[in-house]
Amino acid sequence: MARPSARTFRFRRRNLPCEAEQTLAATLSAQGVRILGRSIRYHRPRAPFCGVGYCTQCLVRVNGVPNIRSCTYVPAPGDAVGTENGWPSVDRDLLGALDWLFPHGIDTLRGFRRPAAFRGLYHRVIRSLAGYGRPPTPPARPEPRAGERIDTELLVVGAGPAGRAAAARLASAGHQVLLVDRGPLLAPPPQARARAGTTVTFLPAPDPGRSPRFVATGLGADGTPVLLRAQTVCVAAGAYDGGLLVPGVDRPGVLTASGALSLAGPQGEPPFPQAIVFGGGARAGELLDRFGTHVAAAVSPGAFAPEVAARAAELEIPLYPRSLLVEIRGRRGVAAVRIQGRGGGPEQLLPVDAVLLAHCRFPNGQLFFQAGAQMDWRGSLGAYTPVLGPGFETSVPGLFAVGEAAGFEPGSPAEASGIAAAEQLLEGTTPSVLPARAEPGRPSEMAGYYTELLRRRAGRGKWILCACEDVLLQELEEASRAGYRGLEEIKRYTGVGTGLCQGRFCLPAAILLLSDLEHRPPSEVGYIRQRPPVVPTPLGTWARMPEETG
Amino acid sequence: MSGEPRDRYAVVIVGGGIVGLFTAYHLARAGTGPIAVFERGFLSSGASGRNGGGVRQQWETGATVALAREAVAAWRRFPGEFGFNPYFRQGGYLFLAESAAELAQLDRVAATVRAAGLPLERLDPRAVARRAPGIRTDRIQGASYLGSDGTLYPFPAIWGAYEAARRLGVDVFLRSEVTAIDSEGGRVLGVRVGGRRVAADRVVNAAGGWSGELSRRAGLSVPNVASRHEILATEPMKRFLDPMLIRLSDGLYVSQTMRGELVGGLSVPHPPGVVPGPPSSIAFLRRMSASLVDLFPNLSGLNVLRAWAGYYDDTPDGMPVIGEDPRLRGFFHANGFGGHGFMLSPATSLRVARSVLGERTDLDPARFGPARFLSPGRAMHAEHLQPG
Repeated sequence: MARPSARTFRFRRRNLPCEAEQTLAATLSAQGVRILGRSIRYHRPRAPFCGVGYCTQCLVRVNGVPNIRSCTYVPAPGDAVGTENGWPSVDRDLLGALDWLFPHGIDTLRGFRRPAAFRGLYHRVIRSLAGYGRPPTPPARPEPRAGERIDTELLVVGAGPAGRAAAARLASAGHQVLLVDRGPLLAPPPQARARAGTTVTFLPAPDPGRSPRFVATGLGADGTPVLLRAQTVCVAAGAYDGGLLVPGVDRPGVLTASGALSLAGPQGEPPFPQAIVFGGGARAGELLDRFGTHVAAAVSPGAFAPEVAARAAELEIPLYPRSLLVEIRGRRGVAAVRIQGRGGGPEQLLPVDAVLLAHCRFPNGQLFFQAGAQMDWRGSLGAYTPVLGPGFETSVPGLFAVGEAAGFEPGSPAEASGIAAAEQLLEGTTPSVLPARAEPGRPSEMAGYYTELLRRRAGRGKWILCACEDVLLQELEEASRAGYRGLEEIKRYTGVGTGLCQGRFCLPAAILLLSDLEHRPPSEVGYIRQRPPVVPTPLGTWARMPEETG
Repeated sequence: MSGEPRDRYAVVIVGGGIVGLFTAYHLARAGTGPIAVFERGFLSSGASGRNGGGVRQQWETGATVALAREAVAAWRRFPGEFGFNPYFRQGGYLFLAESAAELAQLDRVAATVRAAGLPLERLDPRAVARRAPGIRTDRIQGASYLGSDGTLYPFPAIWGAYEAARRLGVDVFLRSEVTAIDSEGGRVLGVRVGGRRVAADRVVNAAGGWSGELSRRAGLSVPNVASRHEILATEPMKRFLDPMLIRLSDGLYVSQTMRGELVGGLSVPHPPGVVPGPPSSIAFLRRMSASLVDLFPNLSGLNVLRAWAGYYDDTPDGMPVIGEDPRLRGFFHANGFGGHGFMLSPATSLRVARSVLGERTDLDPARFGPARFLSPGRAMHAEHLQPG
């Protein structure tokens, strides 16, 4: 065992090195630590999945504070890191027997009712099992930082291609611009103020009688509260890699594209010997480039983009176009995947130890929902995006939507949308050539995918629809059969979408499933009003948030 | 449910929240003839699906204590009777006083509650710390605690009441807003829904935050005011807090649910009136979090997962309005619950149903009847213990 030093943090009984900029999840993965937690209901093993701090699968306890996302947390020397919700440990958790004892799930709505004399006992047992981490212990931390209030003429949320382009254009025209981003912000545009490591968490609908119109909250580094006031807001919050409904999707070793990229780091060894990539578009291509010979095969729900097919041919990676991912096998990790051609093609078992999901990206639309912007369903994305007027202004005056968050293709179309919105703000004119936006109504490759998958209904394990709350597919189906309709009722009936990811990884699938079950288009299934905050935000941060006025 | 409403119902209930559904259930059990419930949104879209799930028997007026006591017994029976488990957990309610005036209020509550035969306990700060580990007690001067108070999950209660009512033949129409009340010569004739007339001799206004507006659509002036209240939920933790806590100084209420989240609210001023999908506010998140961290300094690092809002249906005296409106025969009030409608609903809806059936109830009209607001200047029996 290494001796404790100023350059290590403590994980269970080990001292592990603090590498510059390396996240806790990446460090632990490099050290061979796989299982970081256990799921809330069935105590299934949990390991990093999304890599961007949204999902519930890599929560650890750091310095007495529960539910720290290890995929975004960079450990500091001296940190004490522990795992939670496993007994005696997350590796060997006796409560994992719950998964085995209840192969068809636990009916919490109707269950635990009889005999009435046992209800008090049931309540005590359920309460002692519920929850993820133990409550925070007395803080051994420095005094929290005071809140900051920043006024700006224009606020640009997100420093991807679109946000940077908009900020650069507006700042070069002499406007006061603040560009904020969740992550690090390399080389901010000249003349624009920039703030890295700050998530905009809440953008209430503007008060028309107030100046400045918009008051938003932000979560800065180390929990610093930031109040942002602006006359105009341009949201370029980007998109995230979505999840998939398939038995075994919650197994350690199943990662979204961003999860895989984050866990491996920019140059590091991939955290798996052999993976399959699920998806046939540009995002899948990125994974082939990054992981090369560590990719055993690529499987796509639709066709492969020509450049992806060409890259795969160079690397001699076999391609399975128009295929269903029928089952992910394995218990403490991925052992194999079963795939089948769509329309009844042959079935195959591919032995792999990781599954990388790169089949869809969903726009980060929370701020538009919060601000009260009118949204519409985009079939080609399988998600809601804001209705846009000239120059990419939403139905909320002064609120603009650009880039992937607004449904523009990533890369140059997204960038062009940022420039176009800036031009509109500067000149009041709409550019003649507008970048392409995902068309409403054009079905995506995922449309009909679940219909076909569920007709086959193969796979032995649980169909976990929501990995945050361990909600099963059958619970959604039963709710629908019982006559509950629409996403709002189904959410409250099943708990789908109420977990820590705020529905990011289950609701897109739930909408498609309900569309089938209710025999109506996805746009009529409805959406869930996205509730603030955009990411879970500490009570202490809210408590020190500066006043909106003054 | 799908399908078209009939042309005539014996009773039309406006509002598919817990009060409307329970009332429909009791009426159907009594066999009144066809009953329809019209709900403007989806099931649980109003305050019934947005409340904090508290059920308490600590009140300033004996009339409310009696109703609450009956409600507690009914919530205990609910899983057996309705087939759904709302996990009614009797972890107690702990009211915290931080000033002499607040202590005096708890004295009044204690007298009323003990007079009803309930074993209310007065706690000193040390006993408070035993009931609520981690709480900061330096400003707490005293508390009152009743162990048979508790919390529940609203949703299974709604599903249970909804399915039970439907099993008894009640037609429940969702996304069906009642736009007008038809009446003639001081008698109700029916309602208008989606441009069509639905005839009924008896109409129940159980519209929660929308009830003032509905009464006005019936041509009645009522003092009900909808006020927006906000709630937040944190990420779930392992169990540490059993009772619901109420801080009288700022109206904070918070409890830990069966899932382990802290759920609670605190009132910040908002303009009156209703809008669909009431929004949250930065002011609420700041004040609520500050109050919670002030009480439990260790929770500073705990994450707020989401915040939402709903409407109270407030009356000038803080008491509900139950009974037939003397100005419009056949128009029954089941509203004005001021944020306590859900917890009391098993007891109140039974009395609403009885009054619709023309039976006498044990409710004092001077405290609960709609006529009490019609003679100005009359002394009211106000209920001041409002938070939670």
